[in-house]
Amino acid sequence: MVLARTLEEKLAHLYRAGGRLVGGVYLGKGQEAYSAAMGVQLQKGKDAFGPFIRDQAARLLFGESILDVFRTYFGSVLGPMRARDGNVHRGRPKEGMPAMISHIGSMVGVITGMLFSRRLQGTLGDAVGAVTLGEGGTSTGAFHEGLNLAAVEKLPLIVAVTNNQYSYSTPNNRQFACKHLVDRAIGYGVDGYSVDGTDLAASLVVFRKAVQRAREGHGPQLIVGSLLRLTGHGEHDDSSYIPDALRQSAMGRDCMKVADAFVQEHGWASPAEVEGWRADYRLQIEAAVSQVMKEPGPDPFKESWRALSSATLTEGQWEA
Amino acid sequence: MPTIPILMPQLGESIAEATMVRVLALPGTIVEANQDIFEVETNKATMGIIAPAAGVMGQVHAQVGSSYAVGANLATFEVSHEDYLVLGFGETKPETGPTQVAASNGGSKDGVHFAVNDADTIYQRQPTVEPVVGGLPVPAGAAGASYISPRMRARMAELGLNAADLAGVAGTGAGGRVTVEDFEQFLRSLEQHRMTPASPMRMAVADAMRRSCTRPLATVGASVVLDPMLAHRKRANPKPGPALYAIRALAIALSENTAMAGRLVGTRIVHPQAIDIGFAVEVDDGVLVPTLREVDKTPLATIVDRYNKLVDQARNRRLPKDSSRPGIATVTNFGTFGIVWATPIPLPEQNLVLGLGAGTKSPVWSDEVNQFIPVTMAELTLSFDHRILDGGGAGRLLARVGQLLQQPEKL
Amino acid sequence: MSLTYLEAIREAQYEALRSDPSVFIYGQDVGQFGGAFKATKNLSKEFPGRVFDSPISEDAMVGMAIGAAIEGSRPIIEMQFADFSTVGFNQIVNQAATMYWRTNTSCPITIRLPSGGTAGSGPFHSQSMEAIYAHYPGLVIVTPATVEDAYWMLLESIQLDDPVIFCEHKFLYYHLKAESLGDKELPIGKARIARPGRHATVVAYSAMVHEAIRAAEELQQDGYQIEVVDLRSVKPIDTDTILASVARTGRLLCVGEAFPWGGVTAEVIARVTAEGFHLLDAPPQRLNSKDTPIPYHVNLWKAHRPTVASIIDSLRSLLRY
Repeated sequence: MVLARTLEEKLAHLYRAGGRLVGGVYLGKGQEAYSAAMGVQLQKGKDAFGPFIRDQAARLLFGESILDVFRTYFGSVLGPMRARDGNVHRGRPKEGMPAMISHIGSMVGVITGMLFSRRLQGTLGDAVGAVTLGEGGTSTGAFHEGLNLAAVEKLPLIVAVTNNQYSYSTPNNRQFACKHLVDRAIGYGVDGYSVDGTDLAASLVVFRKAVQRAREGHGPQLIVGSLLRLTGHGEHDDSSYIPDALRQSAMGRDCMKVADAFVQEHGWASPAEVEGWRADYRLQIEAAVSQVMKEPGPDPFKESWRALSSATLTEGQWEA
Repeated sequence: MPTIPILMPQLGESIAEATMVRVLALPGTIVEANQDIFEVETNKATMGIIAPAAGVMGQVHAQVGSSYAVGANLATFEVSHEDYLVLGFGETKPETGPTQVAASNGGSKDGVHFAVNDADTIYQRQPTVEPVVGGLPVPAGAAGASYISPRMRARMAELGLNAADLAGVAGTGAGGRVTVEDFEQFLRSLEQHRMTPASPMRMAVADAMRRSCTRPLATVGASVVLDPMLAHRKRANPKPGPALYAIRALAIALSENTAMAGRLVGTRIVHPQAIDIGFAVEVDDGVLVPTLREVDKTPLATIVDRYNKLVDQARNRRLPKDSSRPGIATVTNFGTFGIVWATPIPLPEQNLVLGLGAGTKSPVWSDEVNQFIPVTMAELTLSFDHRILDGGGAGRLLARVGQLLQQPEKL
Repeated sequence: MSLTYLEAIREAQYEALRSDPSVFIYGQDVGQFGGAFKATKNLSKEFPGRVFDSPISEDAMVGMAIGAAIEGSRPIIEMQFADFSTVGFNQIVNQAATMYWRTNTSCPITIRLPSGGTAGSGPFHSQSMEAIYAHYPGLVIVTPATVEDAYWMLLESIQLDDPVIFCEHKFLYYHLKAESLGDKELPIGKARIARPGRHATVVAYSAMVHEAIRAAEELQQDGYQIEVVDLRSVKPIDTDTILASVARTGRLLCVGEAFPWGGVTAEVIARVTAEGFHLLDAPPQRLNSKDTPIPYHVNLWKAHRPTVASIIDSLRSLLRY
C-alpha cells in the first residue's frame, strides 16, 4: 500500500513536471486498501488477474515490478508493452496478467476464458481469476455478458468492483438505479458482498473469504467496495464536481491513514518503521525512474511494424 | 486618422495577378473617392485601380514593374473615421497568428480526457486559404479517338512509337479509340507486309520533323524572277549554286530584322547571335543540313568554295562535327528535283526554311514593250513558326529576298 | 462421396478436434443441436466436453476465447450469423487484433461467420463483414468460395497463431457440392485463377466467384474470354496474382457482395491502380451491392446484389471501352 501510494505520488509529480511522460496518468489514490486487500490473496504463477486503472497496489502485490510501471509510462522500448501501448494498459498475458484495453468490462470475459481453458486442460487446480473495475464498468454490456457467461460456466471468478462514487464526473445516481450495486449479483445467480473500501481490515476479511471459496471451486463472486476517489479521474482532472460534504464524510477518509492507525493500534509496526518503508520505497522508485529515463524509446525505423504473428502472411509493402 | 490597405482587386475572371505600371497618386497626395490611383496591366488589358474613399495616399508598397497577386497589399491609404467604419474595418479581426494549445498539465478545469503532454506540439491556426491561382484544366472526356490508355502509352514507349505512328491504326474502342488489342493486332498484321529496316538517318529525320510539327507552321509563297541571277551565274567563276544566292539574300534580309529569326521559348524571344544559315543536302535516305557561318558578313564570291566543300562532305557523310551554335534558318533548293513549290518544314531548332522551286519560262506582260515577254520565274516558299512571325512579316521577308535576288552582283 | 460446402466445414472441425486437443468450439446452439446450420452436427457427441452451447453474448464469447487462447487453447467461435458479430466487434478488433502487437502474445482464435445473403434473409441475416474486419490490423480474413477451400482453409485458419475471421457463405452451404476434398493446393494468402481468360479480369471472392464464372461462360458465346480470379483470402490479398492477371488482360472488374463504400473491391482497385497503372487499357471498375441495407423481399434482394446479369453488363461496358 505504502509503495503504491509512494509510487503514484511520483507519477503525479512526473505528470505535472510536464516531462517525458507520454499520455495520461490515472491514479488510484484512496483505493490502496481495497486493492491491496485483494492483491495480497492472489498468487502470480497460479492465478489470473485482470486489473483496471486504479489497482497499483494489487498489481504490485501480484508481482508487477516498479520498472514495468515506469517503463510503460515513459514509453521505454524495454517495457512489457515496448512503448506500443502505455500508462495503465500494461501486462504480461503469459504470466497471468493480461494488458487491459480501454473498453471497460472487456477483461471480465478474458479472465473467464483463461479459467475456462485451464479447466478444459485439467490444469485449473485451485487457481482463481480476479477482475477489477469501477462502478461505471458495471453498466457496460461487456461486464454483463462476461459475468453472465462466467456464472453459466461456474468458473472461480472474483469480480471486485470499486464504487468510488464517481465515474469521472458522473455520480452514482446517473450510473445505476438499483439501491445497492451489489444487488446485481442476485440477477446473475452469483454471491455478492459489500464492504467499506476505506477499511483495510474489513476488506482483508472479505477478500480472504471470497478467494478461499473460489479456490474451493465456487462460481463467480461479486464484491463491491465503497470509498471515495481521492484524486481526479486522471491527472488532468481536478474533480471539482465532487461535493465537499462527501469529501468530509466518513467515506472520504484516506484509507492510508486508517490503515496506519490500525497498524499502530495492533502494534504491528511503529511509525518509524512505516516511515522507514516509505523512505526505502522512495529510493527504489527514484532509482527505477532515473534508470528508465535513460532508456531509449522505440525507433520507428527499427520497428517490425507487423501486426500478425504469422510472418509469412504479412504483405511486404506494409512493413517499414 | 485611420488607415486602410489598398489591395489588388480581382480584375477579371481567372486573373490571378497584375503588374504595376504606374503610380498615379504619390504618397501624400489628397485623393477623391473613385479617383484612379494605380495603373496595372493584366494579360488581357491595362486597368486602373481606384480609391475606395476620399483620403490621402500613404506609403506605397508596390513597385512599378513588379507583379502582385490578387489580394496583395499595394499601399496604405488614410481615410476618415466614418469611411473607416463604412468600409467595414471597424470590427476586431479574428486573430490569425500562431496560437499555442498548452499541454494541459495539472488540473485544468476544462482538461481534455486525452491531454497531450508532448510539449513539442505547437498548434498554429492557419487563416483559411482561398485558391487564387487556377488549377489544371480538366480533360473533358478520357475516351474518344485521341485517348491513349496507360497500357498503350507504356507499350508505345517500349517500342519507341508515338501518337503520330498510330494515326493509321483503326480503333475499335469507345469513340474510335485505339485499344491495346487493336494496337497489338496492328503490329501483328504488319508482320504480313514486306518490311525493311529504317536507317538511323531515316529515324533521325522522322524524329526531327515530328518534333518540328508540334508547332503551328505556316507557309507563304512569292514568285521571283530568276533571270538576273541566272545571267550572273553564267559569268561567275567559280559558279555559285542557285541555293547560295538564296542563302546570301536571306542572310542580308535577316540581318536587317533579326527578330524574325528569333526563337520563342516559354514567354521569351531568344534573338540570334549570328546569321548562320544552313542548307539542305540530299543524302542516302535522308537530308543533312550543313551550316554556313555569319553569312551576312561574307560576300557571295568568298563562300563558294566553302559551300561546295560542305556539299561534298555532306554527300560523303563526312561533315565535321560542328559543336558550335546551330543555324537560324535553312534554305532548301528542291527545284533541282523539279519541284515547283512546296511547304518545307523548318528544323525543330529553327523558325524559318526558305524553299527555292524549279524555274520555268513563263510569259509575263511587259508594259514597256506592250507584249508578253519570256521570263524565268520560280516560286520562293517560306515556311515559318507562326508563333513568332505572322503573314505580314513573312511576306515582307520574302519580298526582300526576291528584291535582293534581282541584283545578284551586290550579294 | 459428394459433400456440400457445409459438410466440408463440419469435416474440418471434426479433423481439428480430433487432431488437436487444444481446439474447442463455442457458439449458440452448437452442442447437442449441432448448430443453426448443422455445421457442428454430432461433434459434441463425438467429442464430449469440447463443443459448448454459449449464451447469447458475442462480446463475452470472443473475450472468453481470447483469454482461452492466452492459456494455450485454440478456440473456434461460431457466430450464428455474421451480422451478430458486431456485438463482439470491440473484443475482435481492440482486444484480439491488438494482442500480438501490444504484448507479443499471439491470439490463435478462429471466428466463423456465416455470411452473405440468401433469399428472404433480410438486413440482419445477410451481411458480408469482411471489409470492416480487414480494416483493422492484426486480423486474417478468409473467404472460401469452394468446398475444398472451405475445408482446407478452415483447418489452416485454426492452426494459424493469429485471429482469423472465417467468412463462410450461407448460400453455398447446401448449394455447392464437390466430389472430394482433394489435396491442399494453395495456402491462405494465395489467390486462385478460377477460370483463365484474356479479354478482361474479374476479381471476386466467396459466392460471387460462381456468379462471375457463370457470367464469363455466357460472354464466351460472344467470343470473350473472361478470366476469373478467386481471392480466397481477403486479408492478406494476393496482389501479385491479380497484377499478373491484369497484365494478361488489361481490363479489371472487381465484384463483391458487400456494401459499396470502401471494402474489398476498393482495396483491390487501389492496389492495381497504384502498382499496375501501366497494365490498364481501361479504367478499373467495381461492382458491389447497392448502398442500402439488404432488403427482405426477394425481388428487392435480387436487385440489391450483383448477379450474373449485372456482372455481364459491367463486363460489357468494360470490354467496350
